[in-house]
Amino acid sequence: MHILVVEDEAQLREQLRERLRAAGYVVDVAADGEEGLYFGKEYPLDLAIIDIGLPKLSGIELIRRLRAHDKHFPILILTARGNWQDKVDGLETGADDYLVKPFHFEELEARLNALLRRASGWSKPVLDCGPISLDTGKQSITVTGNPVELTAFEYRVLEYLMLHAGEVISKTELTDNLYEQDYDRDSNVLEVFIGRLRRKLDPDNSLSPIETLRGRGYRFRLDASNG
Amino acid sequence: MHSLHSRLLLAASLVLAGFLGATGLALDKAFRVSAEAAVQDRLQSHIYALLAAADEDENGRMLPPQELPEPRFSKPDSGLYAVISEDDKQSLWRSSSLAERDIETTTQQLPGERNFSRFALADRQLYALAFGVAWGDDTGTEALYTFTVAEDTAVFQAEIDSFRSTLWRWLGGMAVVLLLAQGFILRWGLRPLRTVTTDLQQIEKGHSDHLEGHYPKELAGLTSSLNSLIEHSKVVQSRYRNSLDDLAHSLKTPLAILQSGCTDKDADADANNMLVSEQVDRMDEIINHQLQRAAVSGRYTLARPVPVGKVVERLLRSLDKVYRDKQVKVELALDTSATFTGDEADLTEILGNLLENAYKYCKHTVQVQVSTEQRTGDIEISIADDGPGIAADQVEAVLQRGTRMDESIPGQGIGLSMANEIITVYGGQLAIAASPLGGTLLRISFHD
Repeated sequence: MHILVVEDEAQLREQLRERLRAAGYVVDVAADGEEGLYFGKEYPLDLAIIDIGLPKLSGIELIRRLRAHDKHFPILILTARGNWQDKVDGLETGADDYLVKPFHFEELEARLNALLRRASGWSKPVLDCGPISLDTGKQSITVTGNPVELTAFEYRVLEYLMLHAGEVISKTELTDNLYEQDYDRDSNVLEVFIGRLRRKLDPDNSLSPIETLRGRGYRFRLDASNG
Repeated sequence: MHSLHSRLLLAASLVLAGFLGATGLALDKAFRVSAEAAVQDRLQSHIYALLAAADEDENGRMLPPQELPEPRFSKPDSGLYAVISEDDKQSLWRSSSLAERDIETTTQQLPGERNFSRFALADRQLYALAFGVAWGDDTGTEALYTFTVAEDTAVFQAEIDSFRSTLWRWLGGMAVVLLLAQGFILRWGLRPLRTVTTDLQQIEKGHSDHLEGHYPKELAGLTSSLNSLIEHSKVVQSRYRNSLDDLAHSLKTPLAILQSGCTDKDADADANNMLVSEQVDRMDEIINHQLQRAAVSGRYTLARPVPVGKVVERLLRSLDKVYRDKQVKVELALDTSATFTGDEADLTEILGNLLENAYKYCKHTVQVQVSTEQRTGDIEISIADDGPGIAADQVEAVLQRGTRMDESIPGQGIGLSMANEIITVYGGQLAIAASPLGGTLLRISFHD
C-alpha cells in the first residue's frame, strides 16, 4: 500500500514515515502543498494524509487540485484546529475523513485501514473469504476461527491480496505496494513471504488460498463471502 | 470634496447664486419695460400740452404754439425736442431747443395713431413719439398734422442705472445674509455628526467606553449599532482573556504531574508512558475546550441571519462520508425558513458536535428536526438517536465535562459540553431527554 504524507512539521512527518513504514506501508513524504501535488500527480498512490495548514498550497487547495486531476484515492485530513467549519470544508472539497491533532497512532492506522478497505469496495471492516477472515480494524487473521500470527509485512501482503480477491496481482504491483521505489526488484523476498503466508494460513495444503500464475503474478483464490 | 459640510455649502451657494442672479435679471427686465412705458406716457402728455397751447387764426386754422408749456422746449440742447409737421410737407414748427439740428420727421401718422421709436441724433440716443392729429378749420376742411416729441435717453438711462445699482446692492446684501444663515444652519444641522466623531475619538483615546448622550433619530440607528459592536467586542475580548487565563491555569496541573513523573526515579518505563499519554490527552482536551470557548463570537447586532437548514445539510453530508460504514439512516424534517442570528462558524460548531455524537452513538437511526415559531422567530432544533442514551443522573456531569476535567464519562465526548457552552453564550437552551427512539433526545432552542 502506497501512502503519501503531506505535513510541514518535520518531526511529525518523520514520525509518521517511520511508524507507517514499520506498519508495512510504502510511504512518501512531502513538506508542502506544491511538493504534495507533484507526488499526488506523478505516483500511483493508494491514500494520502494531508495536513490542512500547509505552506505554498493549503491542504484544502491541494485536495481540490488532486480531485480536479481525477485522482480518486482516499484522502485523510489532519487538522490542528478541531473546528467543524474546517472539517466540513475539507470533507466537501473531497477529503474522506479527518483526524484532529494530536492523535494516537493507532487511531490513525484504524482510519487508514477503513479508508483503504472502502476504496477497494469492501464496506465492512472484516474481510471474509471462505474460512479465512481478516479484521482490518484489529489487524488480525483467523482461519476457521483460529487466530494466526503474522508479521506486519506478511499482514500487508495478505491484506492487499484479499482486498483484491479474485484479481490477478502482478509481482510488480505487489512489490510497488510493499516497498519504496529503490527496492531491488530481482530479489526473491516476495516469494519467500508468499511461501511463509501459505504455510501459516494453510499448513496442511487443503485450502491453497494463494495461487501462483506463472509469469503473471498471484491471485487470492477464495471468493469474498461478504463485501 | 470629502466633507459633508463643504459639499452642502458648495451646492447651496451655487443654487443661491443662480436664484439671486435670475431674480435680478427678471426684475431688471421688468423695470426696463415699465420705464419705457413711462417715457411713452410722458411724451404723450407733452404732445397734449403742445396741442393745448396751439392757437387758431381767424379762419380756424392751427397756428404753432407761442407760449410753450414746458421751458425745456425753449432751452437749446435741453434734451426735450418737439416738431410739428403738416402732411408730407416740411416741418411747420420746431422747438427752439433743437437749435440748428433737425429731427428726421418720421412718417406721417394718421389721426389718433402713434409711433414710438428710438433713434440717434448727433451721437445722442433719443426716444421719440409721433402722434397724428386732424385739425378742422371754419370752412370744414381738415388739415393733418403730426406732432413728434423726442427726449434724450439719458434721463431714462439714469433711472435704469439708479434702479440697477439699488437692485444689485440689495440682492448682494441678501446673498451675504443668506450665505451666513446657511453656513450657520449647516454647522448647527451637522453638529450631531461632529459630536459622534468627537465621542468616537474619546473612545479611541480610552476616555470613554461607549457613545453617550442623545443623538438625533437619523443617527440613533448608527450610534446604537456602534455601541453594541463596541459592547460585543468587549465581551469577546474578555472571553479571550478569561479563556487564556483558564487555559494557563488548567495546563499547570497536567504539567506538574508530568514533571513529577520525570523526576521519579523509581517509576518504570511502562508506567511513565501511560502517565505521559494520559496527561497529553488531558492537555489536548483542555486546549480544545478553552480555544473553542474563546473562538465563540456570540450574538452581535450586524450579524447576517444564517439559514439553519443549509448548515444541517452540509454537516449531514460530511458525517455521511465519515460514517459511511455505519449506514446511518437520517430522518430529516427541516423548516427551510429557520434562520440563526449569529456567526455561522458557531452554529456549525454546535450542530457539528451534537450531530457527530448522534452518528457515533446511534444504532441505525438519527432524527433531526428544525422548526420556527412563526410569531416570535424563535428556532428549535432537535436531534434524536436510538443509541444507549444518557442516564438522567449523568446529564449534569456530561454538560460539566471540560470544566471539571477529572470527571470522565465513557461514551460521551467533550462535544456536548462544548456545544452547551456556545448555546449559553447565545442565550439559548440545551435540554437533554430520553428519545422516543430509545436513545438521547437533544433539544436546542434560540430566542430571536
